Amino acid sequence: MSKYKLTVSNAPFWHDGDNIFKMNLNILIALIPAAVFGMIQFGAPAVGVIALSISSAMAWEFSLNVISKDTIRIKDLDSAVIGLLFGMMLPATSPWWLVITGTFVAVVIGKIIFGGLGANPFNPALTGMAFLMLSWNQFFDFDTAYVTYSFDFTALAPLAFLKFQGVAGFSDMFTLNDLLMGRQIGAIGCTFGLGIILGGIYLLIRGYTRWEITISFIAGIIFTAYCFKIANPDLYAGPMIHLLSGYTLLGAFFLATENSSSPANRIPMLLYGFFAGVMIILMRNIGAYADGTVLAILLFNLVNPVFDTIRPKALGKGINNA
Amino acid sequence: MIKRPFLKFLKPGLYYDLIEPPPEKPESIPVPDNLILILNEPLSSAKLSLLKRGDKVKKGEKLYLYNESIEYTVSPVTGTIDLIDIFIDDKGNTSTYLVIKKDKNSDSDAVTYDLKYDIGSADSYLRTLPGAPPVKTLASAGSRINTIVITCTDRDLLATTSQYVASCFQEDIIKGVQILKKLTNVQRICLTVPQESNLKDKFDTMQVFETSIKYPSNLPALILKDHFNIILPAGKAPEDVGVCFINAEAAASLAAAYETNSAGFNKHLTIIDKQGNRKRVTASIGTSLGKIFKALNIHVDDCDRVVIGGPMQGYATYTIHHPVQPDTDTIMIQDKTIIPHISDNACINCGKCIQICPVNVPVNLLIRYLEAEQYEEAADKCDLESCIECGLCTYICTAQIALCQHIKLGKHELSKLKASSEEELEALNE
Repeated sequence: MSKYKLTVSNAPFWHDGDNIFKMNLNILIALIPAAVFGMIQFGAPAVGVIALSISSAMAWEFSLNVISKDTIRIKDLDSAVIGLLFGMMLPATSPWWLVITGTFVAVVIGKIIFGGLGANPFNPALTGMAFLMLSWNQFFDFDTAYVTYSFDFTALAPLAFLKFQGVAGFSDMFTLNDLLMGRQIGAIGCTFGLGIILGGIYLLIRGYTRWEITISFIAGIIFTAYCFKIANPDLYAGPMIHLLSGYTLLGAFFLATENSSSPANRIPMLLYGFFAGVMIILMRNIGAYADGTVLAILLFNLVNPVFDTIRPKALGKGINNA
Repeated sequence: MIKRPFLKFLKPGLYYDLIEPPPEKPESIPVPDNLILILNEPLSSAKLSLLKRGDKVKKGEKLYLYNESIEYTVSPVTGTIDLIDIFIDDKGNTSTYLVIKKDKNSDSDAVTYDLKYDIGSADSYLRTLPGAPPVKTLASAGSRINTIVITCTDRDLLATTSQYVASCFQEDIIKGVQILKKLTNVQRICLTVPQESNLKDKFDTMQVFETSIKYPSNLPALILKDHFNIILPAGKAPEDVGVCFINAEAAASLAAAYETNSAGFNKHLTIIDKQGNRKRVTASIGTSLGKIFKALNIHVDDCDRVVIGGPMQGYATYTIHHPVQPDTDTIMIQDKTIIPHISDNACINCGKCIQICPVNVPVNLLIRYLEAEQYEEAADKCDLESCIECGLCTYICTAQIALCQHIKLGKHELSKLKASSEEELEALNE
């Protein structure tokens, strides 16, 4: 009927040009300040851990795609994001096998066996992290990890200090400014608070993370820590110390906001973020762990589907006036 | 194509286009030698057709395919039938494709109608007027309709045809409203115009609602919600709640038809070329799109996309021999280099569709049911039937999933499921 073959597809015929690659690229860009700072501070071993973490995460995804005869999906950079986040949560002195085992759990068990991108009920990087923390807890003692390093600031992990020596001498050893500017020891990408905040705000204004989760997460931390502080100022640290130490900021801006394991409706997002924040402080102040971020977020990943059933009624649903 | 802004919160949405201040005069496309009509009834080899190749038809003559047919079309010219064929639309429905070869110099013997001021009479002649007045719906819905809404707003982005007709033919529209009152006995007839346009002043004798220029506020379900406080039940049409929507061009052409006792065939169109420039033309119903492109010097290449309707709700045609139909408002052509990619990614649950959905459909959950072909669960748990098909979720989808296609397929399959279960019930009752 016609000499042309026209392209036929369904409406709409416009797209805003966004895609998964761009989204993940922006997350990687947002993580750069904190990651680069950590590499400078902790030197070549940190570069090694981050590089190995990203490359092994991508390699696991690639090999699993090949084995399962699936489309090769590493070009959407999702496993690179998992690898970078995972590497940033490790101490710089982690041995190579720890990194590779961790990314295996993160990418293969955390993501691919659940059905790949978008189907993981838990944040993959945190799944890997929780596995390592439960199996080889000694590597996450930051005080011994950096024992061979010499720093011009207090070379003690703030949260471990809080846990074992109490809040009394804390302000002599650490200042909030030090914590914000990365003058603390910890995981590679989690010490430079300002860098994480800047990267996180970049993602928020680009619309790649949802402000509801981040804001309510921080609110949950501040509220709970403040309550503890009022109840017993001699025993519990203030909200800002909790906010600027450990994995808290990375959790608020990058981990809790992971798309597929967090809710998508507004009220559930607020609840999810807030209670995850509350849970972190409960774990730190009452529980056995120095930093509860990993397990607290994983716990609320589990609750996410229940939260996400709270949603507005769709137009024209459940009315009988026809 | 409007792209995502760098800072997401600076520009939150899409906006309807407003007509240029003095409306541009349309370019008139001459009536071509061959006109194409689509008759909404499938051709059957088992029955003897009333229409044969070589039959003479007159301008304005009603054409029926079979003796018992209800559907008809009207020939826009005097001429002979040159071709009868099967036509398959984008949903797979079959209808009949007629080509009429125009006779030279014989337009004078046009058919005049015996139009009376009742809806049955209008229904038997005027279904194919420019703008496609819903006379069939009005005739069959009868007294259930208590409100008629004349839309001087365009449903889709880029389209300005209704606004153009409203600004240039307001007297015809007002006459059309009087005729509609006589035809249907509906006393409440109101008008929608876009905010920020000066159209409201032109219709000061009528009840006028100003709709927001933010897409998709001109869709019937949202007009009902915003201005009539009626919540359209999921899966129902506006007629089911007593409201009938008629576009401005249909009202104007009704007035013209009653004035001349014959049907008009001049359709106003907005053409969007490959660069996104808008051109306004008038063409006879039945003109093939290829003829219009040729007249406007728009070059169509292999793999380009020709869209009938706007960028958000239109449909793509597979042939440039598709005719201008009574309800064709906008024709958009996209170069093959700018056609957006559609992927087979799974939903990544980023939640943008939920934030943008104007009717609160949980699209992220819905797509999971639809991909698993669980249409009844999709309707029960995830509000499949509430979707108004505005296309916004698909427009912003990061995973580039063809959400709207899944939803339309889901609705189609659901209606088939419902029909078959009703048949089973009837069989049981017998």
